[in-house]
Amino acid sequence: MKFLHERLPNGLDVIAEVTDTALSTSIGFFVKTGARDETDAEWGVSHFLEHMVFKGTNDLSADEINRRFDWMGASANAFTSEEDTAYHAAVLPEQQIEATALLARMMRPALREDDFDTEKLVILEEIRMYDDQPPFGADDRCRATFFGHHPLARSVLGTVDSIERMPVEVMRDYHRRRYSPANIVLCATGAVDFEALVNSAREWCGDWEPLAIPPRRAPLDLRASHAPTLELITRPTSTLEYAVKMSRGPAGDDDDRFAAKLLAAILGDTSGSRLYWAMVDTGRAEQASCHHQDFLDAGMFATQLSSDPEDARELLEMIDEVYRAAAEQGLDRREFEQNRNKLAGRWVLLGERPRRRLFDVGPEWAHSGDYRSVADDLRTIENLSLEDVHRVLARWPLHGTGSTVLAGPLPLDPSLETASEAQ
Amino acid sequence: MGLAARRVAGGEMTGGQEGRGGSPVRNPSSGSLSPRRFRSPSPPTLSETVKQTLHSATLDNGIVLLGEDLPGLESVAVAFHTPAGAVHDGPGRCGLATLSGEMMLRGAGNRTSRDIVEVLEGSGIQWAQSVSTSHSSFAGAMVARQLPIALPIYADILRRPRLPDDELENARQMVLQNLAGTEDDPAHRAMSALRQLHYPHPLGMPSEGISADVEAIGIDDVRSFVRAHVVPRGMIIAVAGRIDWDDFVTRVEALFGDWGTDDSSAVAIGSRGERIRFVPHDSQQTHIALAWSVPPYRHDESYEASAALSVLGGGSSSRLFSEVRERRGLCYSVSAGYHTLRDYASAICYSGTSAARAQETLDVMLAEIDRLPGTIEEAELDRVKSRAKSALVMQQESSAARAAWIARQWYHLGTVRSLAEELARYDRLNVASVEGWLAANRPAGLTIVSLGKEPLEVPREVSA
Repeated sequence: MKFLHERLPNGLDVIAEVTDTALSTSIGFFVKTGARDETDAEWGVSHFLEHMVFKGTNDLSADEINRRFDWMGASANAFTSEEDTAYHAAVLPEQQIEATALLARMMRPALREDDFDTEKLVILEEIRMYDDQPPFGADDRCRATFFGHHPLARSVLGTVDSIERMPVEVMRDYHRRRYSPANIVLCATGAVDFEALVNSAREWCGDWEPLAIPPRRAPLDLRASHAPTLELITRPTSTLEYAVKMSRGPAGDDDDRFAAKLLAAILGDTSGSRLYWAMVDTGRAEQASCHHQDFLDAGMFATQLSSDPEDARELLEMIDEVYRAAAEQGLDRREFEQNRNKLAGRWVLLGERPRRRLFDVGPEWAHSGDYRSVADDLRTIENLSLEDVHRVLARWPLHGTGSTVLAGPLPLDPSLETASEAQ
Repeated sequence: MGLAARRVAGGEMTGGQEGRGGSPVRNPSSGSLSPRRFRSPSPPTLSETVKQTLHSATLDNGIVLLGEDLPGLESVAVAFHTPAGAVHDGPGRCGLATLSGEMMLRGAGNRTSRDIVEVLEGSGIQWAQSVSTSHSSFAGAMVARQLPIALPIYADILRRPRLPDDELENARQMVLQNLAGTEDDPAHRAMSALRQLHYPHPLGMPSEGISADVEAIGIDDVRSFVRAHVVPRGMIIAVAGRIDWDDFVTRVEALFGDWGTDDSSAVAIGSRGERIRFVPHDSQQTHIALAWSVPPYRHDESYEASAALSVLGGGSSSRLFSEVRERRGLCYSVSAGYHTLRDYASAICYSGTSAARAQETLDVMLAEIDRLPGTIEEAELDRVKSRAKSALVMQQESSAARAAWIARQWYHLGTVRSLAEELARYDRLNVASVEGWLAANRPAGLTIVSLGKEPLEVPREVSA
């Protein structure tokens, strides 16, 4: 594996992780923009724009884009998160130049008003689809409470209201400001011809006008995230009760983030963890899990529970007890080593798939300007000590804190709602 | 995981981790505009000289071993497919295969439930267990050097499960929790109802079970099920990645070679359900699922069938995606795909949309299905072939995907086709062959399930 980097005069970064044995080439444009970069009037625009990028350019119709991807045999898609918008395609190596050119051209979409109006209907359907699915909005509500006034409080999809009100001019303006070349990384993994990649970037992106990008980081509102809160969303016809809990953890630039992921695996991986043996193996919960998620300037442990409604409260207390016991009595070496090996094994398997590597290498560079090889990550994981994990537990205790939202048949009980105190 | 072969992408109703969901990408609008700076596209030139080494062996007791070398990888994936699928659940015991599979992990040989998980995970082995209509499967993916640690654990699980009485309640509750979760997933419920109606009983029964049946299962049911169906004859063990085939065969023979040879009994196939069903569900969206019968994978014509379905709803330039989502903005997800069992297969279409637009969505889907025969263009078929071939080649990058694929092939065909042969089959497809098949097999006798607040109107002739 080798890593290559070149920056165009207008600021666009072109990077590649080249694997000689790969059979495919994955190409992605990673735009450093997402829900956290939106204002109230723009709520949902990053994701809506992601859809509109597939609607074509001034000289390329949407049908033409779809036909070309299929013609190449590409597996192409896009996603939007709080911090990133990415457009990507996996192709056989002989299609690298065509696929790069097509994705590059799409980055300068026409944003026609009639397309905008039709696609708005699709976005509204997507919002309704998620609203019908577990955890029935508990995740978005929890994020809003946990992050308070921090920009990460904003949900990616927006709301029916924010999408319905949005005029096309808002999107055009947002695109002009956020899709500046210095705010975009072109990343490729697998069987990459780097020289051809840079040439494609020069040909199709070289004339993109550079614009200054305002800084994104915002300090986390400590007050909002420290007070434990509980909110309920009542869904009378749901079968299970769904709970989401968020508490503080190390951010993306914190060296403790790897130890935090290991801690989350020990406590709440979907198999073989403390929560698994306590609740899932015994059939008390459908799911009881914990994972660590990091952002540019914030991090969190997210706990998810689904169970019979009448058990949900008790199980949430049990989870808190599991977290408390870990903090007070520590973890044992055996479970630490088991989970470190598990994490390392997972990394090796993911690392050998270039189509998957794109989603590590691209965002890492977009967030930190760094490249980490699979070997770098593995070395970090293998060097983790039990003390590292204990330090994370001490710095970011998971018990007795955090924002919790329940969604399901449980009736509203105003005496238990504490969220208003934190708002 | 399951052994149902799916050659053409797009049959899945949900789209994995990707943000735009549904099938790959999407979009319509104006006609063809002449590209200004774009090179004129040339057909993908597939490197059909892909190096491939396949292995197979059969033990005296009937266990089939399959292997594929993927020398670029560090990993190995192994999968044990036993013939203990949900098809053997039996009357009033829907979910027995799933509960039995769960029980097999709860102690085996000298190992407790915890020992099994701790040794597997402590060795960095990613393990999985699943039940499909035809098989109960146990799989693991790992760094190649760990394979000798993994194999004896799987041998214990398969040959010496303890099936302890005192674990039954926990295992049952786990299966019931999972079932309760599926109640909250409207798309899953619609698809499950569709399979149940469309396939002859018990082939479409939900492998995850039915609550009332799962409640009634006793430990003796589990023990006799495992004894009768977790047997060597009909079992497939597939391995792919950085393998040493001879060493693998020696180890497997030592662990499984002296296992007795009882046959898993055959199942009587009954009749199918009604053609049209409405499932009331309190949701904003209405979910629509359609099916009609097509040839199973082992028939040569299945390539024509799945290609036709891919033109209909397999990619972002497919008919359904263009018409239903892109031009009309009716829904977020819409797709068509090919689903096969060994002796039966179906075309399956799905869409989910808000109640007010569901009738129009169904009407447009039916119109596109009706319009398909006689209208397929060469460029459309070229795109379908290109997607399928490219997906096949890229599959070689995943040991787990290849281990699953070669096992599926053996189950359906009794052989494993080389990649070159598989690619050649796509190359031989042409508009005349696909249209010829469609003309003789126009979509008819549709099974239609809708799930939501209000029933939809279905024209009588489509399910005739």
